Amino acid sequence: MADAALWIMVIVLALVIVVLAQLLKRILVAATSIPPKIDAIAGVAAAASKDLDAVAVLLTTQGYIKSIRASVLDYGGSLDAALPDY
Amino acid sequence: MEIQVAIIILLTAVIIAELALFLIATIVQLFKINAGLSVVLPLVGQIVAKTNPVNPVVDDINAQLVVTRDALENLMLKKAGPDSAGLVESLFPGEGAKFLRRVNRSGKVINVGTVYTRGVGILAGLGRGAPIGVAHTKGAAVRDAKYSTTEVAKLYPAPPDRRDPSKNIPKSPTIGRDPVHSPYEAASTPGTRTRDAEGRKIETPPAPTGKTESSPPPAEEQQSSAPTQADPPSSPARLSAKGTRPWER
Repeated sequence: MADAALWIMVIVLALVIVVLAQLLKRILVAATSIPPKIDAIAGVAAAASKDLDAVAVLLTTQGYIKSIRASVLDYGGSLDAALPDY
Repeated sequence: MEIQVAIIILLTAVIIAELALFLIATIVQLFKINAGLSVVLPLVGQIVAKTNPVNPVVDDINAQLVVTRDALENLMLKKAGPDSAGLVESLFPGEGAKFLRRVNRSGKVINVGTVYTRGVGILAGLGRGAPIGVAHTKGAAVRDAKYSTTEVAKLYPAPPDRRDPSKNIPKSPTIGRDPVHSPYEAASTPGTRTRDAEGRKIETPPAPTGKTESSPPPAEEQQSSAPTQADPPSSPARLSAKGTRPWER
């Protein structure tokens, strides 16, 4: 009886080895696939951060838009005075 | 020791070795991930910091553009009236209906630029009475090279202030020997003088009856009342105000 129990334990341990190996291998594969993606994200983020340096030009555009608006409104006022109403 | 116990000990050692091997490899990968994220996170922070002021600036630019657009649209409504949507449609296809919705108006949008050529559209707008939009897009051309005058006359049938018959301007007077529509009233003393050339008073003529004599005087009276005409010079010569010049005789 004791011999049978020992042999059952041997079989169970052998199955545990196989299953545990498969599970740990999947975890390792998943962990291995992450670093290349992080490297790619780092490259894109660096390029995006460099491109966003041009955002400061928006302030210049804002000033231009204000001056253009003033000019257009002056022009409209002149047209209002020059052309007859409908 | 029995052989089963020896196998169990061996299998347990294999399990421990397997766990150690895979877990160490996983830990190494986790270290690599940590290093990579430490590089990425500052870059993402830079992106956030650089895009932070974009929204207020863009909102301000949009507000400026909307104010300008509204001012120009109101000016167009004031100057072009119901043709505004057609003008907008001619410049920006598809925007005429949106323009009408923005200014809270409704109606059919007629592309002025399609119905009329640019010059005709401008002239029609200046003419005020032009029937904008009456011509079909696929119809005949508005401008006819052969009968252009007739086409223009059709385009401008009459100015608005002339459509009322009471405001019609009378025709120009006919000037001639015997004008039919004389613009002048009849004189109270036609053809008579109260004083002569030296200022002496002439006999008062009979009072006017208020009836203008349009018939010419008789030939005898005309002959007698006509001033005496000087005899023409016997020899052809030039005449001056003082008569024939002596050196030309």
